[in-house]
Amino acid sequence: MAVRTIDVRERVMARNDALAAEVRRRLREAGVVAFNLVSSPGSGKTTLLERTLADVGEELRIAVVTGDVQTQNDAERLARHTDRLVQAVVTNGACHLDARQVLAALDAVELERTWLLFIENVGNLVCPASWDLGEDAKIVLFSVTEGEDKPVKYPKVFQQARYAVLSKLDLLPHVPFRVERAIAYARQVNPTLEFFFTSALEAEGLEEWYHFLRAQVRRRRTAA
Amino acid sequence: MHEMSVALEIGRIAQEQAGPRGPASVATVAVEVGDDAGVEISSLAFCLEAVLAAPPFAGAKAVITRLPGDVLRVAYLEVDDGRPDH
Repeated sequence: MAVRTIDVRERVMARNDALAAEVRRRLREAGVVAFNLVSSPGSGKTTLLERTLADVGEELRIAVVTGDVQTQNDAERLARHTDRLVQAVVTNGACHLDARQVLAALDAVELERTWLLFIENVGNLVCPASWDLGEDAKIVLFSVTEGEDKPVKYPKVFQQARYAVLSKLDLLPHVPFRVERAIAYARQVNPTLEFFFTSALEAEGLEEWYHFLRAQVRRRRTAA
Repeated sequence: MHEMSVALEIGRIAQEQAGPRGPASVATVAVEVGDDAGVEISSLAFCLEAVLAAPPFAGAKAVITRLPGDVLRVAYLEVDDGRPDH
């Protein structure tokens, strides 16, 4: 047989990135700020969102798109705290959300009634790092019951995140976790990473978190 | 862990670019993977083998080249153009 070579040079993520650009365009147009929340399973993404929805969900007009490998449990948990929209995406085995799923979920979100959109990714510190979802920034969570060296073990996601939330601070007296070491590890891979320190159960550190969210929303709304 | 998603997307790109004789004519899919692309090479090779063995492909071979940086792209395809050898 005669072999012919076809030059392709197409980035594997090109289609995802085009869809992410469309998500970003629609959010900008509607004046919505969007954060992509990533962490390993059990770091407290859903609990932080539950608390945030209950406290400032109405004030900041928050909507949530939440991804899970199986079940809609997280969406149901979140929906108890708000009358606002919580859209579940069941990935059926996939380890991350992609831009196509988020774009489809946006059709269910009333963007004109929304100022702030949280995209709760599948619990996983590896794969979500490779998929742009059209968010303004990634926020990475990790909890004091995990290793202080999470940031150097999973550098890609910590490099991509603009903000980090250290969660479950109420458990600090019971675990050998050293906060300053965790911060040092994080700054090693991302010197400009900004930290929040929270306990969503004991409602600690949340004022600073809400202050940040308000400022982000205000900036976007005045720009729109 | 997401290598299967990457392999499927590579399959989709190869299918789209395969030319007039279609995906079954694809003999080689050449992929460039950066060290910082977050892709595990042996896992991707395994997934690509499965994708390229199944229709609409007919046993195309994956050639994976490691590069520095975070590149992740399909570099080129080799297709059987149907003309006899000369």
